[in-house]
Amino acid sequence: MLIELRDICKTFGPVRANAGISLAVPPASVLGILGENGAGKSTLMKILSGFQPPDSGSIIIDGEAATIRSPADALARGIGMLHQDPLDFPPLRLIDDLILGSRGPLRPDRKKAAREFRELAVRFDFDLDHEAYVDSLTVGERQQLEILRLLWLGARALILDEPTTGISLPQKQKLFATIRLLADEGMTVLFVSHKLEDVESLCDRAVVLRQGALVGSSEPPFDTKRLVELMFGKEVPQTPRYKIPCGETVLAARGLCLESLRLQIKDLDLEVYAGEVVGLAGMEGSGQAIFLASCAGLERAVAGSVCLDETDMTSRSHHDFKREGVAYLPAARLEEGLVPGLSLEDHFILAEGKRGLFIDRREAEREAVSRIASYNIKGRPDSPVESLSGGNQQRALLALLRDKLSLILVEHPTRGLDIESTIYIWSKLKERCSQGTAIVFISSDLDEILQYSDRVLVFFAGRVSPPLSAEDLGVEELGRLIGGKGWERFEASATAETAEASHV
Amino acid sequence: MRKITKLILALLLVAVLGTTAFAQSAPPAAGANLTIGLVMVGPYNDHGWSQANYDGAQYVVAKVPGTKLVYIDKANSADRPGTTVSQLGESLVAQGAKLVIFSSDDMSDEAVKFAQAHKDVFVIMTSGDQTWKDGKAYKDLPNMICIMGRMEYMKMVAGVAAAMTTQTGKIGFLGPLINDETRRLASSAYLGAKYAWVNYLKKDPAKLSFKVTWIGFWFNIPGVTSDPTQVADDFFNSGYDVVISGIDTTEAVTEAAKYAAQGKKVFAIPYDYAKAIDEGKGVSLGVPYFNWGPAYVTTVKAAMAGTWKSHWEWNAPDWKNINNPDTGAVGFNKGTLTKDASASVDKFIAELAKGLNLWKGPLALQDGSAYLKAGEAATDKQVWYLPQLLQGMEGQSVSK
Amino acid sequence: MSDSRALKPLFQGAAVVLALGLTTLVLLATKAPPLAAYVNIARGAVGTVSVALDVLVAWVPLLLVTSGLLVTFTVGLWNIGIEGQITFGAIFATWALRSFQGGAASGAIDPALAIALSVLAGMAGGALWAMLVGALKTFGGVNEIFGGLGLNYVATALNLWLIFGPWKRPGVASMSGTVPFDKALWLPTINEQSRFAPIAVVLALVAIAVVFALIQGTYFGLRLKAVGKNPKAAYLLGIPTWQYTMASFAICGILAGLAGAVQVTSVYHRLIPSISSGYGYMGLMVSMLVNFSAAVAAPVALFFAALNVGSIQLPITLKLDSSLAGVLQGTLVLFVILAEGARMRFMKKGGRKA
Repeated sequence: MLIELRDICKTFGPVRANAGISLAVPPASVLGILGENGAGKSTLMKILSGFQPPDSGSIIIDGEAATIRSPADALARGIGMLHQDPLDFPPLRLIDDLILGSRGPLRPDRKKAAREFRELAVRFDFDLDHEAYVDSLTVGERQQLEILRLLWLGARALILDEPTTGISLPQKQKLFATIRLLADEGMTVLFVSHKLEDVESLCDRAVVLRQGALVGSSEPPFDTKRLVELMFGKEVPQTPRYKIPCGETVLAARGLCLESLRLQIKDLDLEVYAGEVVGLAGMEGSGQAIFLASCAGLERAVAGSVCLDETDMTSRSHHDFKREGVAYLPAARLEEGLVPGLSLEDHFILAEGKRGLFIDRREAEREAVSRIASYNIKGRPDSPVESLSGGNQQRALLALLRDKLSLILVEHPTRGLDIESTIYIWSKLKERCSQGTAIVFISSDLDEILQYSDRVLVFFAGRVSPPLSAEDLGVEELGRLIGGKGWERFEASATAETAEASHV
Repeated sequence: MRKITKLILALLLVAVLGTTAFAQSAPPAAGANLTIGLVMVGPYNDHGWSQANYDGAQYVVAKVPGTKLVYIDKANSADRPGTTVSQLGESLVAQGAKLVIFSSDDMSDEAVKFAQAHKDVFVIMTSGDQTWKDGKAYKDLPNMICIMGRMEYMKMVAGVAAAMTTQTGKIGFLGPLINDETRRLASSAYLGAKYAWVNYLKKDPAKLSFKVTWIGFWFNIPGVTSDPTQVADDFFNSGYDVVISGIDTTEAVTEAAKYAAQGKKVFAIPYDYAKAIDEGKGVSLGVPYFNWGPAYVTTVKAAMAGTWKSHWEWNAPDWKNINNPDTGAVGFNKGTLTKDASASVDKFIAELAKGLNLWKGPLALQDGSAYLKAGEAATDKQVWYLPQLLQGMEGQSVSK
Repeated sequence: MSDSRALKPLFQGAAVVLALGLTTLVLLATKAPPLAAYVNIARGAVGTVSVALDVLVAWVPLLLVTSGLLVTFTVGLWNIGIEGQITFGAIFATWALRSFQGGAASGAIDPALAIALSVLAGMAGGALWAMLVGALKTFGGVNEIFGGLGLNYVATALNLWLIFGPWKRPGVASMSGTVPFDKALWLPTINEQSRFAPIAVVLALVAIAVVFALIQGTYFGLRLKAVGKNPKAAYLLGIPTWQYTMASFAICGILAGLAGAVQVTSVYHRLIPSISSGYGYMGLMVSMLVNFSAAVAAPVALFFAALNVGSIQLPITLKLDSSLAGVLQGTLVLFVILAEGARMRFMKKGGRKA
């Protein structure tokens, strides 16, 4: 099946998710689609698989214009999508999961379906029992089931969205072998990933999306450096860094082990010093968010310890951390940081945490006016926070911080903000640093990481790099690390270290 | 704001002054016109207790010129949440009622409250004993008269009909709640059944099984009481082939009809309402019923003429013709009976008319303690306040 | 903003008209005269001093329950368990009154003190039952709607068991209720004839005033609001969210328990099976109708109480079922909520055009 996309556009409010993307995927090939989070990959795939319509542009299948109204529509045309989280029905047997999606008669022929399922499984060497229950499968096996299901339903083109997240290495190898086999048999495959290595080893061609536009394409042999540049943009000239002398340790993570549904972080060690800024880089979901949360008492460690100023805070609550002078600013400002429906003034009252019965509204308003002025927020004390723009919401979050803090933890401090707000937010944060507050922040903007951090930690699928000096790190190298390239040297040095240690 | 306060104060003042206490005497004669208010515990068309009262009140309107009826039914806290019975009585007074009939035992506390609060309104407390000078619950209430019929006789007749019909020797009694009234009525049915079993059928009294199951109220309140349909089914399914109903509604007959349709030979005896046998043609052996009309007429006339005097009455059947609608307080309508059974029922009624008294010793209570010595006839008080079921009956005497 | 304010009464007026219209249709469908029905309800609610006072008698528990529910709604909770909390308040108050009965009769305890203690016991009972719902939610992860419904059944079952068992009348086993308490233990009414206890009205008014002040003017209330609108953010802002959830349950339970205690000591003077009288569910309707704001809860609750009391006339004069009041109340709530939704959509559209 030849799939052509012509001038696909899609906007969400002010965000241009897809800005005129044109693309052709020939049959019997694997096309890799690369890009960082928010580059527009998922939107494009959702349009192709019928989850959402494009604002403009057309989809052409085998030379014929096609309108795809729903996922079922897409499947009827032979386009199947394998989601990052497989969309199956866990309390069912595999065979029922298979039958459920079919457009067959009311009483499906279970025996026939089972026979066909077995044949398919044998063909791809999948070890799946059609009478087993779906919830007994691993993520990798669910993927296999989903592939079989799509094939059984007659898919002639497959879209795979980040399929290598959360599966084991042998499963990944089997998956890649399957994809190759399918492509060789004529299948059209679109492989969406942010992992350079995967794309390089599997794809016949790769395209890179950046900020909603197709910025380039490449064929094997792939040039990693060029792909990284395409994904993250050209290396920006470094602005001279205002170096803050580092003070005492405010945060110490020792041998920290964290677990989430999809990944594990093992033995993370980090000391953060007063007045410094540590940037956490990595693709979203690589482990940096749970690490940041664990530094705020919002995520419990499986092992290891978190100390604040030499006080062991392991498995204490966030409110204990707060009392020790730690502030946490979540990325989802309106979902987690602010209370929609309450005014700015209400927020200041709440943040103050005063004891007492009745609120002195006159006093509160005075305080609100002064905070609004000093943080340059465009809003009045009685403005509901949801009426503020993103930049002003972020300013409000900063304005809510207590005066004396030892550590500020921020997720995506400037995501979605304009230049003016970005500069303002960082000036306020840096002001805190000069008062001795340490800052640890997450960002997917490499420029931001490099520009504002003193040291950088890179996260990749739960692996964590040692602290790297931002000064010595270039965008290109950072991009490679984020994409999972060049990690060998840390392992080498680590093994060297342990080897050394054992010699001594 | 101030205006509202004043208004409320004024209202309160009116309320206090408007209801100053009357002297302890009956209200003055109502005169030529009287609106009667009737408060019923169940639906007015329940084919049972409430309908019998409704018919009684309608009888008054037909027989006594110048009378009018206003009524409210379903006066129980499940059907009318948030209301009290005295409040409902007052809503009838608001419609002009000068005489209010509280027609259920369930209303006795509220009826007393109402009578005390509205000394200018005549009150009939049906089935009560609050104005019985010798009774245990006596209160000085000049505007109240308590009326009850001697249903004991007709329950005995029902017992005879049941005993003459049962093939298994197992008679079930579908009881409402447990109190003095229901104990004595269930026991009367048992006395009648035992009498027929021993004297007419010449059988061993030990072979007669008589079991009472109580549902907890006068009729089914889903989720609150036991389900009478279920209780009746349990009887029929465990070998009881005659069920005597003691509740306000007709589930026993309905269920008997259902089982009969399936080919089972089972029967039921409904209660309270003369036409209740029509509910299950072929399965109703008969119905012991109340005929409230005559007693209500007498009382209403007294209220109109100014001859009202608080008292308690426990009215007997008219032995000349127990089914005369203008005389007796209770009656028995025969239904589907074998010739033999029918003859026995007639014979038994004739014996009662001649003075047969089954409430006569030797009788023991359910726990074996003595109730009546040999030859001793029970007094009204002993019958009315029967403390337990009688020996030989199965089922709870008092709640545990 | 000012534009939408101006529109609000318009939409709400339309909702009232629609509710009346639908109820009228129901009446016409049953061949009943609508105008006569409304006149009868009105007359039954305010026609005489006695019925007007009965409206106040019904208003008290309804307003108490609504006050409590406003607190739980503020933290974003659907306290369906309110019925059980009323019942539990009634049970605890009955238990206290029963144990004081002997003492009050012999003069060992001042009846006024006994009543006060019993009312307090009722409040404690309601709070206990509410906090059980809260604990199930906080520590067991049971949604408060399911937990509340379950505990409603448990409370009803316990109530029935007490009435039919340990607290039965001597020699009697009936669902009619327990033996009435001594008159000395009745909440004093304005006169012997009336069910109207001014103290109860004062308590209800104090309750709604306190709740209003609590939500509008205190740190506690603001934190409750924050927890209700965004628990995650509230937690990050330093508010101990589960403690506040529990506190709101406790307050609601106290007020529901008070309502139950008032029913027992001033209306029925005994414990009956349906002691909660559905006031809990009606309180939920009132809360929805006033859009969860305490400012207008008192008059709306009064209106609902008036509908309930007034509708008693319907079966007497027009042979209509008094559940018509429920139809009117239900449609009113429905249409007001619908109108609010319609207004929001309307404003959004207008905003887009502008």
